[in-house]
Amino acid sequence: MLRDNREKLLKIAVQGEIVSPSSTSYRAQWDGQPKLALGMGGIKYNLKVGDPCFGWASGDHVEPGVTIRGTEKDSPSDCALAWLACIGNEAKLVSGEAKGEKGVFTGRHAGSDDLVWFQRETIEKLTIGDKVQIKSYGAGLKLLEYPDIRLNKMSPRLLDALGVEEKDGKLVVPVVKEVPGYLMGSGIGWSTDTEPVDYDIQTTDHKQVKKFNLESLRLGDIVCLWDQLCINGRGHWKGAVTVGVIVHGASDYSGHGPGVNPIMSTKDGRLEVKVVEKANIADYFGLK
Amino acid sequence: MVKTNREKLLEIGVIGAITHPAIDARYVNNWDGKPSVGLGQGGIVYNIKPGDSCFDWAWGEKVEPGVSVDGIGNDRAKGSFRNFTCVGNKARVVKGEAKGKEGVVVGKVGGLPDRKHHVVVYFEEDVLEMLSIGDKIQVRSAGIGLRFTEHPSIRSIGVSPELLDSMGFKELNSRLGVPVTTVIPADFVGMGSGGAPVESSCWNVMTQSPDALEHLKDVKIGDIVALKDILSSWGRGYYENAYTIGVVSTGASGKLGQGISVTSLMTCKEGEIEPILVPDANIGKYFKLGGA
Repeated sequence: MLRDNREKLLKIAVQGEIVSPSSTSYRAQWDGQPKLALGMGGIKYNLKVGDPCFGWASGDHVEPGVTIRGTEKDSPSDCALAWLACIGNEAKLVSGEAKGEKGVFTGRHAGSDDLVWFQRETIEKLTIGDKVQIKSYGAGLKLLEYPDIRLNKMSPRLLDALGVEEKDGKLVVPVVKEVPGYLMGSGIGWSTDTEPVDYDIQTTDHKQVKKFNLESLRLGDIVCLWDQLCINGRGHWKGAVTVGVIVHGASDYSGHGPGVNPIMSTKDGRLEVKVVEKANIADYFGLK
Repeated sequence: MVKTNREKLLEIGVIGAITHPAIDARYVNNWDGKPSVGLGQGGIVYNIKPGDSCFDWAWGEKVEPGVSVDGIGNDRAKGSFRNFTCVGNKARVVKGEAKGKEGVVVGKVGGLPDRKHHVVVYFEEDVLEMLSIGDKIQVRSAGIGLRFTEHPSIRSIGVSPELLDSMGFKELNSRLGVPVTTVIPADFVGMGSGGAPVESSCWNVMTQSPDALEHLKDVKIGDIVALKDILSSWGRGYYENAYTIGVVSTGASGKLGQGISVTSLMTCKEGEIEPILVPDANIGKYFKLGGA
C-alpha cells in the first residue's frame, strides 16, 4: 500500500472566471504559412478530455471543456488557482445560470489558462464571465516512501486512479506513450516554478510525429517524458523520468504541440512506466 | 566567395539605451532548489568579453559580454531595435560622455525582467569607463533579409555584412560549410523553443545535467556553434536534420531548462549547412575584440 500524507493536506478554495476565447491575427506556422488558430480559451461545446489532440479544423492548442482564469492578480499565472488547483479537484459554479453545478479540474495551460470539465447539460447553461470555484486539494502531497519523487498538481483522487504499482522498490505508472526529451519544446526553462506552467511535446516535425505515433494522443492522456526533470522548473536531465497529463492539443507553430502538466518527476531512478493502451483521466474520473 | 544579395540590404538606424542590471526580485531558485543571487545580466559588465569562459563566474547567471542595450520609445520602436540589429553591426554612443565612440553588437538575448529582449554591445575598456546606465546607443542595423543566392533553402536570420566577411564560409558542392567550435545536440537545447520572431532573443543551451556540462565545458562566450536538429525559420523548434548556427551570447545558468544563450544567425531544414569544427571560431577573433 502506497503511503502518503493526504491527511495533512490543506483544502483551500480558489476561484476563476470563464474567459473569452483568445484570437489574434494570422501568425506564421512552422513552415511560414499563416494560420488563424482556434480552440484556446472560452467554452468548447464539443471538445472534452478523452478527445483527440490532433485534427480539429484550424485548431491549435485546443483546450477541452471550459477555460477559466484567476483574476485577483494582474497575471493569471500568479493567481492562487494557477498554483493550488490539482488535477481531479472538484469544481463548482458559484455564479450564473448553472450556479451550484459541479465539474472537475483537468489541468492548466499557462497563458490561457485553467481547464475544467462540466457535463454537457451544464455547459449549455454557461456564460463567459461565470465564476468557478475549485476545492484545491493536493499541493504538498508526498509519497512517504518515495520522497525523491516530486508530485505536482496531483490530487489524492488522481493518485488513487493512476493504477500505480510498487515493484522492487520502484513505482510503476501506466502511460499511453513514452516521449523522448528532445521533443519537449515551448515552456521549457520558462520559470523555475513547476506548478503554474505546462510545456509542449513538439508536433511540427511530421517525421517525428509518425515515428512516435503522436497523432494517437488524446486530451487527458497520461504520458512519460524521458530525460526530463520537472522539479524547480522544467528541463533536460539525463536519466530523469517525468510522468504528466496532456492538457491541450497539437500545434502547427514551431516548438509547440500538446501541453503536459507534470504530475510525477525524479532523477533518482525510482520511477518507471509501463505502456498500456488506455491511461486517460476521462476514464479514470468517468468524464463523458 | 559566397554569393549573396548584400547590395540590396537596407541599412537602418535604430536606437536604444543602456539598461539597469537585472536581478530576480527574490533569490534565483536553482535546479537543485538552492538559492543564489544571479548576476551578470543587464547593465554594464566591465570584465566579461567574447573569448571568456561561459562557466564558474561567482553567482553568475547568464553573464553578458559588455553592455546591455534595449530599444526606447513605444513597443514598435523597441521591436525594431530588438529585431533589426545583427551581430557584427556597429553601435555608436549618441548621448553621454562617450558620445561618438563605437562598439560592436555581440548578442541578442532575453532575460531582463518580464522576459524583455535586449541587445549586448561590446565596447573597448576605455569606452566602458565613460559609459553610464541610460546612455543612448544607435546601431546601424544591416543584415535582415540577407539571402545566400546559391543556397535558397538556407534562411539567414541575422548574418550582418560584417559577419559575412569574417565567418569563413566554404562552398562544399551543394552545401555551405560554416566554421563552428561545437555541435550541440537537440537534447541540450531548451528555453527559446516555441518563441518567435527568431530575429530577436535567443535559444538557451541547458547547463544543469552532467552530460550537458561535459559536452559544453570548453564553450566560450562569442563562439559560433551549431545546434543540431534545431530549426529557427519562422519560430524556434525541433526538426530532424535541421541546423541552427548561432553566437554564444551569455554564460551558463543554474535555472533548469536555461543556460548558455545562443543568438541565431542562420538555419536550414534538410542539412544544407555543414558545420566545420574550428577551435577558435569566435566573434572576438573575427572582430578583433579586446586584443584577440
